[in-house]
Amino acid sequence: MEIELNHFLIVSLLLFVIGFFGVLARRNLLIILMSIELMLNAVNLSFVSFSQFYNLLSAQVAAFFVMTISAAEAGVGLALIVLISRRWTQMDLFVLEDSKYTDPV
Amino acid sequence: MDFLFILFSALALYGAVITVTHKDMVICALHLAGSMLALAGLFFILGAHFIAGVQVLVYAGAVMVLFIMVVMLFDLKRKKETLFSKGLWMKLASLFFLSGLIVGIFPFSLHLFPPRSMETIQKTSTKDLSSLLFIDYVLAFEVLGILLLLIAVGVAVLCRQRPFLQTPSEKE
Amino acid sequence: MGSDLFEVGINFIKIAFIFLLMVQMVPFLVWAERRGSAFIQNRFGPNRIGPLGLMQNLADLVKFLCKEDFLGHKGRKSFFYSAPVLSLIPAALAFGAIPLSTPIEVEAFKWLGQTWGPYTFYFQSFVISIGVVFVLGVSSLAVYSLLLAGWSSGSKFSLYGALRASAQAISYELALSLSIVGVLLLFNTFSFSEIVAAQNGPLQFYFFGEPVKLAFLPNWGIFYQPLGALLLFVALFAEANRLPFDLPEAEAELVAGYHTEYGGVKIIMFYMGEYGHMLVASALMVTFYFGGYTLWPFLTPDTLKSFFHFLSSTGQSILTALVLHLVFLIKLLFFLWIFIWVRWTLPRFRYDQLMDLGWKTLLPWALVNTVITGIGVFLMRGV
Repeated sequence: MEIELNHFLIVSLLLFVIGFFGVLARRNLLIILMSIELMLNAVNLSFVSFSQFYNLLSAQVAAFFVMTISAAEAGVGLALIVLISRRWTQMDLFVLEDSKYTDPV
Repeated sequence: MDFLFILFSALALYGAVITVTHKDMVICALHLAGSMLALAGLFFILGAHFIAGVQVLVYAGAVMVLFIMVVMLFDLKRKKETLFSKGLWMKLASLFFLSGLIVGIFPFSLHLFPPRSMETIQKTSTKDLSSLLFIDYVLAFEVLGILLLLIAVGVAVLCRQRPFLQTPSEKE
Repeated sequence: MGSDLFEVGINFIKIAFIFLLMVQMVPFLVWAERRGSAFIQNRFGPNRIGPLGLMQNLADLVKFLCKEDFLGHKGRKSFFYSAPVLSLIPAALAFGAIPLSTPIEVEAFKWLGQTWGPYTFYFQSFVISIGVVFVLGVSSLAVYSLLLAGWSSGSKFSLYGALRASAQAISYELALSLSIVGVLLLFNTFSFSEIVAAQNGPLQFYFFGEPVKLAFLPNWGIFYQPLGALLLFVALFAEANRLPFDLPEAEAELVAGYHTEYGGVKIIMFYMGEYGHMLVASALMVTFYFGGYTLWPFLTPDTLKSFFHFLSSTGQSILTALVLHLVFLIKLLFFLWIFIWVRWTLPRFRYDQLMDLGWKTLLPWALVNTVITGIGVFLMRGV
């Protein structure tokens, strides 16, 4: 069996679904953020494989932008998680639900 | 090439599975870093050398190091959440639907696009990529620069000495 | 790897040779560091075992091998043992991507009743088109070994040391990458071999369309990028965790660092990683700013080949590569000596001074350098 475009797309699909499962199933904020990074990476893989197999360089530029944005997202997300874990002393998603009405100022 | 593809994709998937299932966050973060390195290997065998290098530099070298630093600083003695500790039924339901998604797509996906051989692909020329990035997409590039500046300022404001989110005792 | 058995075998030997070159530099550098520090501080240094104390390292090695292997009860065993090995890998990979001499071209020859085709052996472990990005990416992975070592020791001091070290490494990586941008703008390539080839010749450029030629100087990057070279050198000091930036291992005032709990052979691995980073740093300085393995006008590939004209072309190629490799090693040793010299000359920075230097001095000046280089390249281009 020869490796071709569809195999790369299947790997990308599996990675995306694993990341999606992580976002749905885990309650730890950091792991949810990591799963989002995983999903972005999966999308990047499909971008790059399309760009290489169809010779479309602009798809690689899109992958480049996705990388930049996910780095930025990780920065803000980590800052927020650090603040939340300082404020409520844990990193569980449900602390946010419980403390819905506490005014954070 | 086939061997390398199977090796790297297996490593990437293994790292991803451990990332979403393990209870120890440090191990999760390390496996995610390994998964990203394996993805860089996949980019490399696709011939996108520059993107592979940037993947190593940005994800494995910077983003995941930040994650691991935060994990190590803030999660020394917390009680650990396992995958099956709470809300088991919701998790099983989401797993069921997602596996349904995979099973539904999988039979089609091998024939989704007309097969193209790996022989046809060529190495990306970094010069072409950079001319595309700095000439055709220069507006998006500049906007991203502004976005990054905003992010830097925003994070600095969030993490300044007197935090925006105060504890109740500090509020009195 | 190669088309037939001969090429594959030679390539394996070559990779092993380059790795061993890196590893075998370490005892020599340790000796040079101890004798050099003694020389600078007007004392003797190790001089009892062997001539000039050269066997001292062997004695130390025996001592390290006999030490007890221990781990605190909160430690994580697998990570604790893998961290020292991880510290060596990035340096070895990065050093393998830097060309140490010209490629050796072997003509077709007969051996064992068979004709073996013409080969080209590059004097580097692997040839990648994106060499500079590869070296930057791989050396950014060195942080993992520090973090893992500090965390898996199960000791607070180790963890704080690791966080200190990784914060320092991340901060200086920005200045490092930005000061390399100037070099990339100047030579317009990611490949180390092309960067070296561009520096082989007399200093010449165009100024507002007028050709300027200074024939008494080589075309080295240092003449175009003096500020960039200084910034890169300082950032490389910080990346290699050398004094004056050696807060990760300040044993007197900060209870050492990430390797507090390590002993025996494992700490030797950490030292090998550190010296490997020094080697990579010196090799980068030589390749970017000081002409790599060439020394115009005397020792260039062309002049050496014509000097060895009485040999066959294979012999010419091999001898040229060896002589140029020697040139590279001499330049490398000069920078390694500067590393040692600075260590015993400057005192250690305080942590806030270190962060100020990285973020408020190196980073803005690297940006200024990038802008100046961009304008300069625009003015000095040939058209």
